Amino acid sequence: MRLTRGAGLAMLLRSFAVQASWNYRTLIGTGFCFVLLPVLRAVYGGGEQLKDAVRRHSGIFNSHPYLVGIAAGAVARLEAEGAEPELVERFKSAVRGSLGSLGDRLVWAGWRPVCALLGVAGALAGASWWLAVLLFLVLYNAGHLAIRVGAFQLGLRYGRNVAEQLRELPLDRVQRSLWHAGAFLVGVLAPLVAAGELLADRLPIAWVLAGALATAVGVRFGTAIRLPAAVVLVLGVVVAYALGGA
Amino acid sequence: MTGWILLALVGAMVAVDATSFPQVMISRPLVSGALGGLVFGRPLEGAVVGVILEVYHVGTLPIGAARHPEGGTAACAAAGGLAAAGLPAEAPVVLVTVLLALLWERVTGRSVDLGRRLNERIVQVWRPGPDPDRELERRHLAAAGVDGIRGLVVTVSGALATLLAVRLAAAWPAQSTVAAAALGIAGAAVLGGTLDVFGGWREKGRTFLLGVACGLILLAVA
Repeated sequence: MRLTRGAGLAMLLRSFAVQASWNYRTLIGTGFCFVLLPVLRAVYGGGEQLKDAVRRHSGIFNSHPYLVGIAAGAVARLEAEGAEPELVERFKSAVRGSLGSLGDRLVWAGWRPVCALLGVAGALAGASWWLAVLLFLVLYNAGHLAIRVGAFQLGLRYGRNVAEQLRELPLDRVQRSLWHAGAFLVGVLAPLVAAGELLADRLPIAWVLAGALATAVGVRFGTAIRLPAAVVLVLGVVVAYALGGA
Repeated sequence: MTGWILLALVGAMVAVDATSFPQVMISRPLVSGALGGLVFGRPLEGAVVGVILEVYHVGTLPIGAARHPEGGTAACAAAGGLAAAGLPAEAPVVLVTVLLALLWERVTGRSVDLGRRLNERIVQVWRPGPDPDRELERRHLAAAGVDGIRGLVVTVSGALATLLAVRLAAAWPAQSTVAAAALGIAGAAVLGGTLDVFGGWREKGRTFLLGVACGLILLAVA
């Protein structure tokens, strides 16, 4: 049978809720079946066949939520073409790890932090609060929606051959560009934060130099610096209140 | 009272957005902080808290099944509590608010973990009956509903705790410069650590330094 545009659109809309029942056993398995249901209903109608399809597709599955359309689109096409359940299961097993790590690298460690840093940069550069928030939301979601729609188109168009098509895309180059943009933005923001721009209140030079040193320490120790930084905040509270209004 | 009801609704939306639906990132501290302040008519104070907490969260990546703090609801709660107190965003009070938010996000993160365990029960106890597709939909969406209730509870309780803490903090004199410096130093350190996410010093040191040069020019011009 041929997949209708309506079924594709229904799957796309449902994919926004793919992680609603995220859990440690089946990960997004139930959500994956939830996304596929419009197609499963169209293919199997009801009764035992639908029951069996629901059981098959509600097992363990994982993917980055924005890229789930690649797998869901391809599986929908396979189901519509009447592929053997074993083949569908093999396909799902083959893609589930790679779709997770690909999305993590591109979105969670790329697009999202870059957009967030741009939003913060906007706020620290003097833009009004709503403009900084809007900049982040509009920019981020332009990429977000493009990825979701593109993922479904890829999956539906190429079916089980989607992995080969993914390899053709310049994803490594995109990731490298995002990481350059992110590193650049961290650099831009570091002097602003060290100088006290978080509160729009320029600090005396000695404190700014301490902030510059703290940036260097952060660069050296990476994300492990979060806990020592929290200790600095605690010390800040203690000293600020110990000194009183002096 | 209207502000608290709105905060509860926003908290629920922020929690659901983080994982369940639709992940448009109103759950980022930058956004949820501003929203938390906005419901009490003080979006600027909320945005200040949100921006600071966003700096702390840029380097937190929700990779795989990792358990991590939930910054969105914590930022919403902290900003809401500060705004409800009606206090201006002065350094000592903001410092206390941010510190509380960083503690509270551990609690909210734990609640996410508990929610995921509850989801295991919601989807595992089920055996396909006569109407399996409808039942699966009901259970899947019920899990999102539970997530929303969780968000509502942690946001309102966090905001109440913040409200009490900042009122107490505002009653005592404090050194503003030291408080602002602590926020600046800690924020700069965390931001430096974020370079790790983009490949670290070895890979992206030059790009980072180019950014620092641009940041210094910005500072000089501003």
